[in-house]
Amino acid sequence: MISTTVFITAILLFVGLFSQTIQSAVLYQQNRHVSLKASDLIDSILLSPGYPYSWGITNENLSLFGLQKPKATGYTISSFALMRLTSFEDPVEYPRGSGEYYNNVSIGTGGYLFIPVGDCITYETASMLLGINRTYGFQLSIKPILEVLTSVHQSNPLILKVQVKGPGSSLGGAALSYYMFHAYKTTSVTMQTGTAVTDAAGVAYLDFPIDGEKDSYTIVICAELSGLRGFGRFSQVIFTQGAGVMPFVVDYEKGKIFLAHSWDVQDQGTPVPNYEFNATFFMLTEGGEFEEIQIENSTGGLNYGSKNYEITHLPIANPGFLLVTYRSGNEVGMNIMPWGIGTLAASVTFGGQPSDNVWTAVDMRQATVDLVGYQATIICWRVEGY
Amino acid sequence: MLRTIEISIVVLILAVAYIAAAFFASLPSPRQIASPNLRQLALTTLRLLDSDNTLAETSFKDPSDKAWTDLEIALSASLPPNLVYNLTVYDVARIGSSVTYRKYYSTSNSESGFGTHSEAASYLVTSPNATFSLTPKRLSATLYILNCSDANGWWITGYSAQGLAFDLQKLLSPYFNTTIIVQNTTELGQLLDGNKISDSSDESIHNAVVINTFGEAVPIPSTYADSYDRDNYAEYCYEVGKRVNQHNWTWVSIVGYPFYYVSNTVELEYSHNSWGIYGMRRSGQAGLNSFLQGLDVENHPAYNYDGSGITGDVGVVHFTEDAIYQSNYYGIYPSSYQTATRALPSSIQATYHTTIRSSVFQPVSGYYGAATFKHDGKGALTAVGLTRTPDIRVTALALLAYYNPIIYKAELTLTPGEAPTQRLLVLQLSQQGAS
Repeated sequence: MISTTVFITAILLFVGLFSQTIQSAVLYQQNRHVSLKASDLIDSILLSPGYPYSWGITNENLSLFGLQKPKATGYTISSFALMRLTSFEDPVEYPRGSGEYYNNVSIGTGGYLFIPVGDCITYETASMLLGINRTYGFQLSIKPILEVLTSVHQSNPLILKVQVKGPGSSLGGAALSYYMFHAYKTTSVTMQTGTAVTDAAGVAYLDFPIDGEKDSYTIVICAELSGLRGFGRFSQVIFTQGAGVMPFVVDYEKGKIFLAHSWDVQDQGTPVPNYEFNATFFMLTEGGEFEEIQIENSTGGLNYGSKNYEITHLPIANPGFLLVTYRSGNEVGMNIMPWGIGTLAASVTFGGQPSDNVWTAVDMRQATVDLVGYQATIICWRVEGY
Repeated sequence: MLRTIEISIVVLILAVAYIAAAFFASLPSPRQIASPNLRQLALTTLRLLDSDNTLAETSFKDPSDKAWTDLEIALSASLPPNLVYNLTVYDVARIGSSVTYRKYYSTSNSESGFGTHSEAASYLVTSPNATFSLTPKRLSATLYILNCSDANGWWITGYSAQGLAFDLQKLLSPYFNTTIIVQNTTELGQLLDGNKISDSSDESIHNAVVINTFGEAVPIPSTYADSYDRDNYAEYCYEVGKRVNQHNWTWVSIVGYPFYYVSNTVELEYSHNSWGIYGMRRSGQAGLNSFLQGLDVENHPAYNYDGSGITGDVGVVHFTEDAIYQSNYYGIYPSSYQTATRALPSSIQATYHTTIRSSVFQPVSGYYGAATFKHDGKGALTAVGLTRTPDIRVTALALLAYYNPIIYKAELTLTPGEAPTQRLLVLQLSQQGAS
């Protein structure tokens, strides 16, 4: 009897011990599988242009999801495909009360990128096209490697402090080239270009003969060192009468843009100002410089009544940025919209949110978007959990 | 007693089995389970830094050059802060059939080593003095370039048709099996009649490409001038369209409104185009309509005068994404935006049973600045409807985008006298704190 009891106890004890080991091994295998899936997913997304290949510049429905730039090789991402990814930001309704919503990619003060929600690819669609819906979840984050941070060092005359740094360290000795746009009491923009080099701490100071407290200005800076390139932008808007003239991409495929009175987006009280505006498009050349391109209806006036928007068109598939200068009375402001994600170093986060207590795997790749170095990071998890 | 011993033995066996299983089934560290794929990260980092060839250039610089310091800064900046790297560059030497690797340069930002877990990726670069020869796959079609000495051009101001023909020959002949210059309108007449004009055995009338370098004017052979002179020779344009269909040609117009004038300095000696250029007659807008009728001869079996204008002045047009790619692929770089004042409409597709292929510029309001209109039966018209003066690089790009000849890129031709040099870069990454 004692022997039998000892025997059964020993069996139960060892079954418990073995099952613990086996459970750990199974968990290891499952986690390993998620990790491999993360690696597989990020490569699938970044090394395929999807189908149709040029879906990033059309309104076509996707039958295969991928972000690689068509006809490019390696980890070269289409900046226009990135624009079509549904953002985590709350959509913006335009015009107010119309029920038409625009995907909102946040790019900081004075920067806007609104695209019709209907033209954007949702996480659910991407997940389904990747064949992982109901099995794996993912969140893809595509961020510029270099941060080009600008701050005001002195207002009058204006001195801007520019710091360039990557995730690992500052970028000392980087070559900076900048485009400074400023306006004072008029929508006529003066452009000034120049170059500088960062010191060992990755810092450079840029001098401008303007009064930074009176002039509205926007500066676009390109930093480059040893094949690593990044863009940065900084805007100082001296404007108190609403958000001015805001660009909305209303027809993605045709590059049709509404230059809209901000009253149609948000009522900022009375009196509602009338705006004069001047819109300029700067196209990114293959050499990494910006070149001004003429666009239709580039100047005009808006009010919140009969003339609350103007229509212009941007060249499809040619990345750059649209700079809109607006004026009401003596106040001048500037808004900027990237055309293609890379030109103003915007970040994109796309995908789902992992639920609590789920084990996630992370993988990353370095990529280029419009000549700019980006880091793509994927977080992957099993939808069913364990 | 015996049972107790048996049970003890069983327990002992189970214990040994568990210990053995636990020993052999030791699980790896969590970091190994889900470490980022460092090998891919290393490879993509090297590719990123070489995206504009900077890494390749740096790899061949002297180890004391500042470029190495810049590279180290860029590497440190681009990698996540919890990663350490070791970059080693090897000189690759080929002696006979064997390859040797000699360490050339090494740098690392790790002072404490790499722990037990690290991964590496390798990347081969070639010295900047190496060139890669390009060999296009030649198209079997014959390329005819009109260089008629007895015709005048229009909207080619600043150039002569002969100069343009020469430039086009230089630009396009590598892509065609045979290139033949049509020296006069008599030869053009022979060509239209389906007769060869050279001794070359490779010349083939059928499926040929004919480039009209005379801008808005088209040379007219005397025999055709005598026979097809209705409506200021619009009838001749119809006849040309028919022949394009008959021989399955691709007719290329390099600038402006195609077939707006006809030209023969002998036959039309006393006519001028209303702008003082003699040897020319203005067919006007009927010329293009007539050509398209002829191209669509199955549905327009007889010539009918149609003087309506169909082109559009759409202003600035921009390259399509395909054109940007083709521009890079073939190494032909006209400006990516141009002014189109004679853009052809998409309605040609329905009216004359054509399909638009390989548009160089994005359409504006249904008008195409430069595109090939392929007839659903035979023949095609490549029309560059830009304003004067012509940029033949656009013509070349339009044509190459349509035919899309493959370019074979032969590897590594070195400057004479210089040793072949390649460098192998190995980037090793490790997470700090890895056990």
